[in-house]
Amino acid sequence: MINFERVSKRFEHHDALRDVSLEIEAGEMVFLTGHSGAGKSTMLRLLMLLDRASSGRLLVNGNDVATIRGGRIAKYRQDFGIVFQDHQLLFDRSIFDNVALPLEIAGFHPRDIGRRVRAALDKVGLLGRESANPVVLSGGEQQRVGIARAVVARPKILVADEPTGNLDPGLSAEIMALFEAFHRVGVTVIVASHDLALISRLRHRIITLKEGRLIGGVGS
Amino acid sequence: MKSPVPGAGVGPRPALVSWVDHHRKAASYSLQRLIAEPVQSLLTCLAVGIALALPAALWAFLQNAEVVAGNIQTSARFTLLLEQDVNLERAQLTAAELETRDEIERVQAIDRRDALARFAEDVGLSELVDNLHNNPLPNSLQLHPVNSLTSSQLDDLAQALAGVSGVEQVVFDTQWQARLQAAITASQRLTLGVGVLMVLGAVLILGNTVRLGIEARREEITVIKLIGGGDGFARRPLLYAGLWSGSAGGFFGAVLVALLFWFVSPPLERLFDLYGLDRRFMGLGLPGMLMLTTVGGLAGLVSAWSTAFIHLRRIQPR
Repeated sequence: MINFERVSKRFEHHDALRDVSLEIEAGEMVFLTGHSGAGKSTMLRLLMLLDRASSGRLLVNGNDVATIRGGRIAKYRQDFGIVFQDHQLLFDRSIFDNVALPLEIAGFHPRDIGRRVRAALDKVGLLGRESANPVVLSGGEQQRVGIARAVVARPKILVADEPTGNLDPGLSAEIMALFEAFHRVGVTVIVASHDLALISRLRHRIITLKEGRLIGGVGS
Repeated sequence: MKSPVPGAGVGPRPALVSWVDHHRKAASYSLQRLIAEPVQSLLTCLAVGIALALPAALWAFLQNAEVVAGNIQTSARFTLLLEQDVNLERAQLTAAELETRDEIERVQAIDRRDALARFAEDVGLSELVDNLHNNPLPNSLQLHPVNSLTSSQLDDLAQALAGVSGVEQVVFDTQWQARLQAAITASQRLTLGVGVLMVLGAVLILGNTVRLGIEARREEITVIKLIGGGDGFARRPLLYAGLWSGSAGGFFGAVLVALLFWFVSPPLERLFDLYGLDRRFMGLGLPGMLMLTTVGGLAGLVSAWSTAFIHLRRIQPR
C-alpha cells in the first residue's frame, strides 16, 4: 500500500532521510521509532505531502505521490486520518464541531455527521462531552478527541506522530490500545513514537531509523 | 474493510449538494463571527459606509443640480428690442411670422408704453418717468423657444433672430447656461473619480479586515489543510465575511446619505422655492440604497477574494 523506494530528503545542512526503501502493507500496523531527528517525522511529512522527497519515489496505492499537486493534495489527504502530538484541536468550537470537521470537508449530510461523530466519540470514550469545549479536557482526553477526528471519516490509513509524547504511561497505553482497535478492523496504522518500552510490548513491526537511515524492521 | 466506526451512515453526498450546503454553513458561520465581535464589525462597516457615502451623496446632489439646471433652461426666453421706427402693428406682424418657426413656441409683442410703465413700477420712479417727454424704450418682442433646444441651438437661434428685419438687438445670455452645464459635467467627472477612489478605499479597508480574519484563523486554516480541506473550503467563510461586511457597510453608507440629506434638504428646498421651482429635493431613494448596498457587497467580495488568494497560499501546515 505504501512504498518508499530509495527515498532521500536533504535539507540545507543535513540529510533527514538517506536512501530509505520500505513497504507497508494494507491493514498493517507499524511503529516508526528512533531518536528525535532520526527521520520519523520527515517520513510522515513526505507521506502527508507536507514535504517532497529530494530523490527516490514514494508510492501510495501504486500512485507516485510526486504527481499529486495543487488542488489534488487536499483530496489525497482526505484518505488519511492524522493524529498529532499537540492534538491540533480548535478551541473556538465544541468537541463535536472539532470531530465533525473532516466530514464537513468531505461533504457528508448533517444527519450522517451527527451519527458518525457520536459513534467516533463513543469509541474513544468521550460520548456525552460533545458540546463541551476541548479546552476543559485533560491532555489525554484532548488526544482522544484528536483520534476521534482522525477516524471519523473512516480513513484507509491512520497516521500518528508521537501521539503519546505528552502523556503518562497509563494514558499512553490506553491510546495505543485504541490504535490497535482500529488496526483490528482493517485500518493501516502508522505510529511514530520514541517510547520503545511501550511499543516493544505490542506485537507489531517496529521500523527503526538512525540519522536518516533504516536500521531495523525493513521486511514485513 | 469493516467500518472502524460503528453506526456510520452512508458516504459523502454528491459534490454539488455538499457544496451548496457548505456555502449555506459558511454564510451563517461568518455572520455569527461578525456578530460575535460587534465593535470591530461595526467600526469596519462604518468606515466602509463613510467611504461609500461621500461619492453617493455627491452623485445624488448632482442629480438634483441637473434637474434644476434643466428647469432653468426650459424657462429661457429672448427679448428682441426692435428699431425705434417699428410700430406696434408691425411688431405684432413680426411676432406672428416668427411664431410659425419650429424652434419657437410663442412670441408676444410688448407695447413700448407698457414696457415703460412696467419699468417705472419696477424701479419705483413713476413720477420721474411721467415727466419724460418721449419714451426712450422701443417696442419689443418676448420670445419663448421650445423646451428641447440645446444651448448651441439656442445660440444659432439668437443669431438668426438678430438678422430679422426691424430687430435692433437680441438680448439673451447663453453663456451662463453653458457655464452651468460645464460646471455640472466637471462635477460629474469629479464625483466619478472620487467614487472610484472611495470604492478602492473601501476595498482596502475590507481587505485589511479579511487579512486580520485570516491571521486570527491561521490555526483553523492550518488544521483544515492538514485534514484534507482545500483552499476553496478555507476561503468560503472569508468570502462571506467580506460580502456581509461590505453589504452592511454599503447600507450604512445609504443611511448616512439619508441623514445628510435630511439635514441639508430644508435650506435647499427653500432655494428651489426662491427660484420658483416647484420641486422637492431628491435623496437616493430605494433603488439608490439597494445600489449602494450592492456596491458595498461587491467591494467586500472582491477584496475578500483577492486577500484570500494572496494570504491563504502562504498558510501551509508545518
